[in-house]
Amino acid sequence: MQQHEIRRFVERYFAANGCTFVEASDDYLTVQLTAEMDKELMNRPFYWHYIERIGGVPQPMQLTLITRASERTDKLKGERLHFGAPRLHQLFRSAQKRGSFIRLYEEPSAPLDGNAALHPWLGMNVTISYECDRKKDEIVSLGLHLISGTIVESFHERMRERRLTPKIPDYCFTISPLIKPRSGIGRLEQYIRSRIAADNHAWADEARRRWADDLALLDEFYKDCEEKPECYYIEKEALEKQYKPRITVSVINGGLFYLLPRSS
Amino acid sequence: MNIDLEMDETWKEEFLARVEKDGPWASWEMYELALEAAHHLSVPEFNGLQAPKHLPHLTILPHQIEVARRVVEEMNGKAILADEVGLGKTIEAGLVLKEYMIRGLVKKALILVPASLVSQWVRELNEKFFIPAVQQKKSYVWEQCDIVVSSIDTAKKPPHRDIIYGQSYDMIIIDEAHKLKNNKTKNYEFVQNLKKKFCLLLTATPIQNRIEEIFNLVSLLKPGHLGNAEQFAKTYGKTRAIQTNDHLKALVNKVMIRNRRADTPIEWAKRHVEPVLIEFTNEERELYEAVKALRRESFAGSFSLITLLREACSSREALFLTIKNMIDKCGGAVPEPLERVLEKINAVTTNSKAEKALELIRSINDKVIIFTEYRATQFYLQWFLKQHGISSVPFRGGFRRGKKDWMQELFKHHAQVFIATEAGGEGINLQFCRYVINYDLPWNPMRLEQRIGRVHRLGQTDDVYIYNFAVKQTVEEHILTLLYEKIRLFERVVGELDDILAKMNLANLERYFEDAFVHSRSEREMKIKMENIVAMIELAEQLGKEGGERHATT
Repeated sequence: MQQHEIRRFVERYFAANGCTFVEASDDYLTVQLTAEMDKELMNRPFYWHYIERIGGVPQPMQLTLITRASERTDKLKGERLHFGAPRLHQLFRSAQKRGSFIRLYEEPSAPLDGNAALHPWLGMNVTISYECDRKKDEIVSLGLHLISGTIVESFHERMRERRLTPKIPDYCFTISPLIKPRSGIGRLEQYIRSRIAADNHAWADEARRRWADDLALLDEFYKDCEEKPECYYIEKEALEKQYKPRITVSVINGGLFYLLPRSS
Repeated sequence: MNIDLEMDETWKEEFLARVEKDGPWASWEMYELALEAAHHLSVPEFNGLQAPKHLPHLTILPHQIEVARRVVEEMNGKAILADEVGLGKTIEAGLVLKEYMIRGLVKKALILVPASLVSQWVRELNEKFFIPAVQQKKSYVWEQCDIVVSSIDTAKKPPHRDIIYGQSYDMIIIDEAHKLKNNKTKNYEFVQNLKKKFCLLLTATPIQNRIEEIFNLVSLLKPGHLGNAEQFAKTYGKTRAIQTNDHLKALVNKVMIRNRRADTPIEWAKRHVEPVLIEFTNEERELYEAVKALRRESFAGSFSLITLLREACSSREALFLTIKNMIDKCGGAVPEPLERVLEKINAVTTNSKAEKALELIRSINDKVIIFTEYRATQFYLQWFLKQHGISSVPFRGGFRRGKKDWMQELFKHHAQVFIATEAGGEGINLQFCRYVINYDLPWNPMRLEQRIGRVHRLGQTDDVYIYNFAVKQTVEEHILTLLYEKIRLFERVVGELDDILAKMNLANLERYFEDAFVHSRSEREMKIKMENIVAMIELAEQLGKEGGERHATT
């Protein structure tokens, strides 16, 4: 992640959460937090507890974030933001927490002749993690048409091209889903399972080979012991934890999208 | 496909609840940011390192990156890191830990280090790596904190031990792991019974070790890698040093990484070494001769004459303490020869070495570190320098960590001179200073190397000056000329001597030195023993060179 990407992310994050910028230059920005954001980020529960108890006027903090070191920022009291900075990772976590669930409607681009029907879709972005003693992630974006059961990939990219709004637009109505959200999620999970099953898993075979090699060494090491000592079993268990291939699927975010049907 | 697959259910339930309640829903912008964050946090490849991208403020050297890469990609996260002193093993270990944490493969880690280094590790992990490491102070820390740093001595004791055994660690890091070379010790057993998914053993001196010690260390990391004890003894029992058996060497190198200074393209600050010979005053000379005369006494066998002589060269204070102990042991009447020594001690009013040190410190006019072997000399020097308006800070290995840090800070900001006794070495960095006076020389050249290593290390940008003090026509002059000039210790790069000795199977060099300096009855005996050591080293070097040439031609 480049510094300008970090800068962009931070600006968008605070703007999306209703914070204002007190100062902003190419090198840094000072943000006036809202009460909500102060509670979210500044870790001072006692202050908030106290203020709320006495009914005082809260004074949310300002946060100065330096995105590029310069002579000016050297004198500044602020936090340097870079890819490994704990503050940035806190913002990542916060964004994920606050951006998990969504419901949007598509807005027609041209005035409508009459009423328009919006079709329900279930969108889900998931991380598939392949783990052994190493790890790799894959992010997949899926969409399920809750009428026909059609599943498409790169759903999120498609959504970026549409005009979406949180309120149902005028002269539009939604078709109620034939597939209920719960079973919709089930269908997408099933899709992910078969997608994974169809994949090449050489990585898992290699991990198992490494595991078998180490296990053989371990057995050899203790082969003369009639009764294996406890550390043999501890080590054996540790090897399983180290090498055993496993895949976890976690949902980043997702939600309901009501879309105008397209011919394409 | 026969791989465990787990679907995360938490999102699903929460989502369905929100559908039910009709919200609340995120904005499109927040939704996009969440996905973007996930993209930044995801690891796209099994191979390669993510950690350097997270640590832009840290200068990571190429050999350190390479170590971390090999540990992860080739050694599956179990390795002995054995770089020579000063190449940054802590950085390498931190990098590996960070990499696994970024990849989500390590959540809980236990870091076992010598007690004197605990707070330094905690600080470095937090400041350099943003790893929220915590020092174990209360027993609940084991369970509640993810990354815990502790000394092995604390960890192995009840009730800690049982709590630790109950934890499931993803990674164990052990600093100064050469202390685990003996598989009969409690420490060894303790580490053996830890669950080690990933494990790093850090040591600077694996090569000195005897071959069984290498076996023990490797078996702790990866049992069976060198076979079991019986097979190992059968196959390699006659091998005395690991270098002499190519097969064994190759096997060990699969789990051990050792970088040498000479192999890294780092430009080291230059090291200037200057012997400083000092002339005794008449009174000091008479005292020295009086000590020497003790050799003829009947109780001569009960103490080390060489030690007394070396003390006489350091300061009358150092000598006095030992003589006083001897007198106390005699009980009652003071033996006449000791009485004579006491008289001579009283007659001495000046200290030629201290005068010389003062002169040198004044001419340097910059920060200076003085190393001495004796506490009494340390006290004396501090007093003496103060008399002449020079501020100094004393330092001992026994100081608690907080005091060590404080003294280091005092020296950095408020004092000109730092007076350290032995073992002050471990865990302090004094790169901001580049002048070292060896007020008296230790008999163990490794210790001398450690002293210099405090200032001559990574990060030192200026030339380093070392002054070795020795009094003319004393035991010190012998040490200086015979040992340090003949084996040219100071001209060598760090670790070189280690290697030469290993080639020669002189694993117990320390013992030879100790024998020569502590157990010799006379200077003559010491001289002969030292000449033998020099001859052995020269031979080893000869063999080493021939070996190198042969290697080069094949």
